[in-house]
Amino acid sequence: MLYIRIAELNICIENKYDYLEKLCREYTIEKPENVDMTVSVSDEQIAQEMSIAETEVTAGYAEGVCAYREICKRLPVEFGAYLFHSAVIEYGGDGFAFAAKSGTGKSTHIKLWRRRFGEGVHVVNGDKPILRFENGKLYAYGTPWCGKEGWQTNTRVPLKALCFLERSAENRIRRIGADEAVMLMFHQILTPQDLETVDSLFPLLDKTLREIPCYILGCNMSEEAAEVSYNGMK
Amino acid sequence: MKIKKGFVAKEIAGQYVVVALGAASKIFNGIIKLNDSAKFIWDMLSEGAEKTEIVDALLAEYDVDKETAERDVDAFVAQLEGANILE
Repeated sequence: MLYIRIAELNICIENKYDYLEKLCREYTIEKPENVDMTVSVSDEQIAQEMSIAETEVTAGYAEGVCAYREICKRLPVEFGAYLFHSAVIEYGGDGFAFAAKSGTGKSTHIKLWRRRFGEGVHVVNGDKPILRFENGKLYAYGTPWCGKEGWQTNTRVPLKALCFLERSAENRIRRIGADEAVMLMFHQILTPQDLETVDSLFPLLDKTLREIPCYILGCNMSEEAAEVSYNGMK
Repeated sequence: MKIKKGFVAKEIAGQYVVVALGAASKIFNGIIKLNDSAKFIWDMLSEGAEKTEIVDALLAEYDVDKETAERDVDAFVAQLEGANILE
């Protein structure tokens, strides 16, 4: 049994394997007075996850993946939050979320920011942050689930922009409207499986698109890419 | 013609998108964005309207000629059939 706090929620995970305890060590809390959510993963779910994984994974790892999916599935309906598959960095107090198809170079782009702007650039989460509105502001929260680089910080940052990355010979950035952004956003969330989730999630996506500017960045692997990226969104 | 059960069209920031829920998500795993006229046709198909009814309604609602309206309906229906969304 494990208690963690992510996105200001106290979560109890009834884990079977140690992996989750190691993964979540920076987010672990003492047994809290109120538990917002309890999740457990069945042996069937673990076996299913192991069978579809692209590489060979341990049962503990599979349990971790399933536990996070269970948590994230419940976020829209129960807590007005959602998983947004992206890398979120913080620079100068502002959060920037970068989303891309895997292999496009999200991690590379973040390394370029660090090279260009130095130690002031912090990765909040490299792959699977949770987004949540607090007092009308959209925050990205760090979580233990953060992609293969293991980039995460147990913190939150107000989001200033959403940026969809594409590879390009030249570096260029352009602001996009909801007509383009809505489809791109959909590829980065857990597809809702029931009407209740749709009815909670869609207003959150709506609010996000109305309040947070979205961009498409065509970028290469030069330091100039970070410069164009930041100047376009600051 | 009728949209299968489990497909819903909902608005996000002025954009209509269709998602598949429950059993429907096994046939169609993705998302479709609808423009105004596509949303108009979609709503009629949800009620099980026939092509002639939809064309007539389009002519009444939009400033289009019959030929264009028919072509639009055919193209949209073909798209939905291709995605296995129509009964």
